[in-house]
Amino acid sequence: MKVGIPKGLLYDKYNPFLHTFFSELDAEIITSVDTSKEILDEGVKYCVDEACLPIKIFHGHVYSIKDKCDIIVIPRIMQLRKREYICPKFCGLPEMVLNNISDMPKAITEPIYATSENDLFKWAKVAGKTITNNNYKIKKAFNKALIVQNKHKAGIKNEGYDINIALAGHPYNIYDNYINMNVVKKLNKLGVGVTTEEYFDDDIIDIQVKSLYKKPFWTFARKNYGFTVNASNEKILDGIIYISSFNCGIDSVTLELIKDKIGDYPFLTLKVDEHTGEAGLDTRIEAFVDMLERRSLIENNIPSHG
Amino acid sequence: MKITFPHMGNIYLGVKALFDGLGVDYVIPPQNSKLALEIGSLHSPEEICIPFKIMIGNYIQAIELGADTIIIPGSCGPCRFGEYCEMQMMLLKRLGYDLNFIVIDAPTDIGIKELYNRIKRVSSVSKKLKFKKIKSLFDAVKITNLIDEIEASSHYFAGYEKTKGECKNILNKCKEDAFKCDSPKEMINVLLNYKEKINHVSIDINKEPLKIALIGEIYTVIEPFANMYIEDKMMSYGVSTKRHLTPSWWVKNTALLPTKLNSLNIKRSAKDYLSLNIGGHAMECIGEAVLAHQEGYDGAIQIFPMGCMPEIVSKSILPKISKDKDFPIMSLVVDEMTGDAGYITRIEAFVDLLERRRNNVLFRS
Repeated sequence: MKVGIPKGLLYDKYNPFLHTFFSELDAEIITSVDTSKEILDEGVKYCVDEACLPIKIFHGHVYSIKDKCDIIVIPRIMQLRKREYICPKFCGLPEMVLNNISDMPKAITEPIYATSENDLFKWAKVAGKTITNNNYKIKKAFNKALIVQNKHKAGIKNEGYDINIALAGHPYNIYDNYINMNVVKKLNKLGVGVTTEEYFDDDIIDIQVKSLYKKPFWTFARKNYGFTVNASNEKILDGIIYISSFNCGIDSVTLELIKDKIGDYPFLTLKVDEHTGEAGLDTRIEAFVDMLERRSLIENNIPSHG
Repeated sequence: MKITFPHMGNIYLGVKALFDGLGVDYVIPPQNSKLALEIGSLHSPEEICIPFKIMIGNYIQAIELGADTIIIPGSCGPCRFGEYCEMQMMLLKRLGYDLNFIVIDAPTDIGIKELYNRIKRVSSVSKKLKFKKIKSLFDAVKITNLIDEIEASSHYFAGYEKTKGECKNILNKCKEDAFKCDSPKEMINVLLNYKEKINHVSIDINKEPLKIALIGEIYTVIEPFANMYIEDKMMSYGVSTKRHLTPSWWVKNTALLPTKLNSLNIKRSAKDYLSLNIGGHAMECIGEAVLAHQEGYDGAIQIFPMGCMPEIVSKSILPKISKDKDFPIMSLVVDEMTGDAGYITRIEAFVDLLERRRNNVLFRS
């Protein structure tokens, strides 16, 4: 049995779980290649125009492996925490993919509620049943996959740089180097260290979120808001770069909430879509870094107007 | 305390009756217009959807008329609408307005006690007896139901009417007269009167007008300004339209939500294509498309604001329904930049297409 796992969306975060789970069930795993121009082109071709870049790229990944596997995993991640969603498009992801791309193989589209181990196991049970009928084996594979996943430490924290910035945004924008055009490498080259939200405790994030009238009901809105506001309050980092895909409904809200809270703290939004030119991105990053450097040269960072 | 609220279709009639009944001071924002949208777009974040922008326009226009309290419903679904209250509070505060916000959220998210407290902030202003307060709430619901019924009938009969434009005239007059009423009782009488009138419009039952279902995102479908008066246009083309999403449907649906007995027919018809509730009204959109086909409609038009996340999912599914059932569906995306001419051309082309399909020998064979 060949199981196809597309390398799109939250793959970078949850690949240890998926890989361990399916390989423990003795399935052959087929993954798509890293995001490339071809993948993007296929995605743009098949996906609806209004969708955001990561969703289009996910379509491209699915298209590239659909003929090579017997069954394909389309993770329909509903909630990672109680009453916290990721995005409506995640909830309807299998419908989007299956209706947009023709001749699809069988797909695992069971909703994933990762709110507790038991809820997550419900997904594993259905997913495992497609490969084996041995319940014991599924349970064993599931437990092992969880252990591997918990050991896996995602996130970026560069050390030894003079200037350090917070890199915020949805994980698929931060970790997919094709989408963000190697922004981390570019920053490092300019002498800037990058820290991501994973290196901050969830508790710190939750404290910051409490200042809002309404608790955000999107996981990554909560995380990014808490992370960036904390960074600006504590002044541990020198600035924030937020990578956002064009037409992202969640970022349109999160960005406003952050901007309102952090005041004068250096903040750069990088909008990415399928037309983003690399030169424009470079210029913006360089200008931002120049600004940070000059800021640190001015004594005590006091603005001239007092 | 002077309360105001955002516009959405005809809800202003129901809300007006409610506040009249309660004896609470209120301001109804001027009808939605280009000006409201311009004000809204000026202050709102760029990428937010169009309902937010129109709402901000409503608020600012109402504030200029003396409003100091805003009441809006909330939600904690995965759709952006749930974050509206937070962003609007922030935005209006930054603009320097000192306002109270009363957000009516679902009790499952804020707790029944908090919901009660929030409602009490409105009801405590009223000096009427508790019984009267509850009665005015029921009156408001009744008025919403009535105006929705009148609207639905006039949109449907517009295809069959003998004198062209009669339904449209009655509907416009009805809204005008209802708005002039000072008490809920008077308004109910006026509406009942007009209901009688619209149900006795002389129609030609031998006519076979085109029938189109309007589906999509709730605000843009209900609010005529947001969808550029598509229903009025259809009425003048002599096309019968049906729209399932109405304020009265919303009230009923929300009330029945905890029992899971809400909109069973929609859930059933959407099941084959979208079995889960993914937020917003994506499932309703899919269900309505399937239902419209079953009911013998000629086509459906989906309308949603630019960037609406749930409707993007339903837009991916609709072509499949269209193909499976041989049922034409057109998607229209609206935002503050939508041009009138391009929009009308597309609607006219769609109506033409449906008309020609009918004359085709292969149609419905």
